[in-house]
Amino acid sequence: MVTEEEITHVSKLMKIDVDDHTEYIDKVQAMINYFDILDSAGVESEEISMQEIPISNLREDEYIPFDEKLIEKLNNYKGTYVRAPKMS
Amino acid sequence: MNLKISALEYVQEVQNGNISAEDFVSKTLEQIQTVDDKLHAFLSVNEKAIEQAKLIDKKIKSGDKVGSCFGMPISIKDNLCIKDNITTCASKMLEHFVAPYDATVITKLKQEDAIFVGKVNLDEFAMGLSTEFSAFGPSKNPWNTEYVPGGSSGGSAVSVSAFECVASLGSDTGGSVRNPASFCSVVGYKPTYGLISRYGLISYANSIEQIGPLTRTVKDSAFMLNLISGLDANDNTTIDNKNEDYLSGIDSGIEGKKIGIITEMLGDGVDPSVLSATKDAISKLESLGAICEEISIDMIKYSVAAYYTITATEAGSNLARYDNLRYGYEFPVEGYEFNSYISKARQKFGPEVTRRMIIGGFVPSAGHAGKYFLKAMKVKSKLTKEINEAFKKFDLLIAPTVPILPFKIGEKINDPVSLFLIDINTVTANLTGKPAVSIPYAISNGLPIGIQLFANSNQDKLLLQAAYALEQTVKLPEVPI
Repeated sequence: MVTEEEITHVSKLMKIDVDDHTEYIDKVQAMINYFDILDSAGVESEEISMQEIPISNLREDEYIPFDEKLIEKLNNYKGTYVRAPKMS
Repeated sequence: MNLKISALEYVQEVQNGNISAEDFVSKTLEQIQTVDDKLHAFLSVNEKAIEQAKLIDKKIKSGDKVGSCFGMPISIKDNLCIKDNITTCASKMLEHFVAPYDATVITKLKQEDAIFVGKVNLDEFAMGLSTEFSAFGPSKNPWNTEYVPGGSSGGSAVSVSAFECVASLGSDTGGSVRNPASFCSVVGYKPTYGLISRYGLISYANSIEQIGPLTRTVKDSAFMLNLISGLDANDNTTIDNKNEDYLSGIDSGIEGKKIGIITEMLGDGVDPSVLSATKDAISKLESLGAICEEISIDMIKYSVAAYYTITATEAGSNLARYDNLRYGYEFPVEGYEFNSYISKARQKFGPEVTRRMIIGGFVPSAGHAGKYFLKAMKVKSKLTKEINEAFKKFDLLIAPTVPILPFKIGEKINDPVSLFLIDINTVTANLTGKPAVSIPYAISNGLPIGIQLFANSNQDKLLLQAAYALEQTVKLPEVPI
């Protein structure tokens, strides 16, 4: 069972304001509690298989020019830098 | 002008000079204007579509080389980038985002002279199965507008079903092409993982999601697959399908093919009319010479929990980029501290996206990963083994696409777990990377039922042959719009 405090804590870490208790805490709690079913799957000894991609499948590691200045599309681009809020 | 023709019929008609691209595209835009107020499939309509169709007609007249779509009007799910077009992901966060490049599937369709008539609705960031989580309001099911059209590619399914385009592209992370296809009585195809490049698809859960076509016929899905599949240097998960022609031999039949009936997908919670349609489909397949037997796949019971754990984790990471410093809306940074600015900016996310981001932070976190994320990954591995074992015995697997009929708008929105469980029959194909297709099969109380077939990885051609064989046994009423 996941607690309200745990959800609130993670929300803060995810930089999400939880302003509606029913929409976020209650529903998230119900959703995560449903995942408890995974405990009965009996997969403890199972190996996790990873997707393997051969290096030959990767494209050459080379610079490909783009026809536009993508940086100019950034919201807070100020000509030579991106304006971000101050760190406390 | 008959807007109800299939993609292949459209190509034939234009080639034969019976219709022009301009006339057909104009009529399609008129249809959108007539029905879309009611259905809300489209988030934006391409104002230049007629102009583009005229250019294609000109090419045809002057004998120039014309791409194999001949100006066919196609709708595109609004999480696929078309250069210089707004791509919203049905989110307020990206309401004004202009895509700086074309997705690979868009580049390919442009080369084939397709015309994009518009961008269509979805659940915000493709998280949902009803389009009710679109920040711009739900789409409506053309079979009954009080009901959901399914999702997340709901706009795609509605636009194909209501003759607002000839075909559509959607994306399928846990059933998002097949579910709305089933609910709107169109064909929805989720290919083998890697068959279609995702470059230019806005990421939600990369390890399992695929782009797929929604069409009026199985042949049209095969035609679309011919155009958009194959290796792409910009998506290193793509596989080389050696330019397979999915249309050739599509009518080969299924004589002697072994089909496994997945018992876990026909158990508790399946609507009686869905169950009876599935049994009927099985006997039709048997009468065509297939050998059908039941098979139990134990891990399916845990597949929905595993699916939501894995996708939320990937979403938590993929959506972290929406801090409003790079993408986002007008919201000055002055006066805010870094963390509070981002938190404030993220209030533009809708409730489902917000919930999944919280879950995506929680389930892989230190202290919880062992119970949730790692266990989900183990379920995924074991499920894949079980499915691979099943394909040693069977050529194909069968189940209903969705265990229930379309439901009323608003009926389930406050019960996230019951919404989860609607995905039980579709997530397996995503978690295991297998191809799966939903074929329109029956109408019960005026609402559509789709049947789902699965094949082993890279057996897309066989899957389409089987889907075609089943489709030929069905004659369905016309959509009442």
